[in-house]
Amino acid sequence: MILLINKALNFEPVIWIFLPVHIEFMIFGWIIQFTLGVAHWMLPRFLVGEPRGQTFLAYLMVFVLNLGIWLFILAELRDVSNTLRLIARSLELVGVLLFASLHWKRVVTYNRRKTTKA
Amino acid sequence: MPLITRIFLKTGLLYFIGALFVGVALQVDFLGIPNLIPLFWHMLMLGWITQIIFGVSLWMFPGRIKEESFQNQKWSWLTYILLNSGLILRLISEPMIIQSVNYLWKVLLTVSAILQFVAVICYVIEIWPRVLSIKQRRKKKRANS
Repeated sequence: MILLINKALNFEPVIWIFLPVHIEFMIFGWIIQFTLGVAHWMLPRFLVGEPRGQTFLAYLMVFVLNLGIWLFILAELRDVSNTLRLIARSLELVGVLLFASLHWKRVVTYNRRKTTKA
Repeated sequence: MPLITRIFLKTGLLYFIGALFVGVALQVDFLGIPNLIPLFWHMLMLGWITQIIFGVSLWMFPGRIKEESFQNQKWSWLTYILLNSGLILRLISEPMIIQSVNYLWKVLLTVSAILQFVAVICYVIEIWPRVLSIKQRRKKKRANS
């Protein structure tokens, strides 16, 4: 909101340093995290063992993804070297790899019916 | 979960991983490929987010014909084919318009934009009649029976 008001009224140009923070929060912090959470909840569960796969790995996925997000924001605000940005994006990549490994086998159908109409 | 949804989700997962690889590559610039930033965002927002929204809505919205065949899900399959061919074409042509003066890359990028647009139209054709209230669903069911 502050960014948009500043775009309209241009009262403080320094506020534009928050643009990458805004993008990171909205895309990774909100939309992507939302899709991961809903997918974890809604995808068909395993019939044996833990229904949603290893709980520890799921928590680890959330942790590394969010650590990556916060480190990236820190790097953007402090304008530090690309090393921190690289570490941040790598952590997000690890989160995504964990997500893919946890959910790849849950993209299945248990419905073997062939000829029913909704 | 229908086959088309599984295909959308698994393709989306591959784009998701690919996007994050590009995100890492952007920080170290080891690929030496120009124009990576738009590729990163489009792999993420179209390759992953849009694709899972398409896949899950085709599965969850009412009125789905459960019998699996290309004919029964033709608009969904067209959406998948057009969206992904458009995306792949974009991934190839977008860096090339910077690297090469060949006009072909501009043409391919335009084709990619058109393919993605037509994919969205196909998706709308499939999903529009399925956006129904319970009352409308009951009415439609009665009319069909």
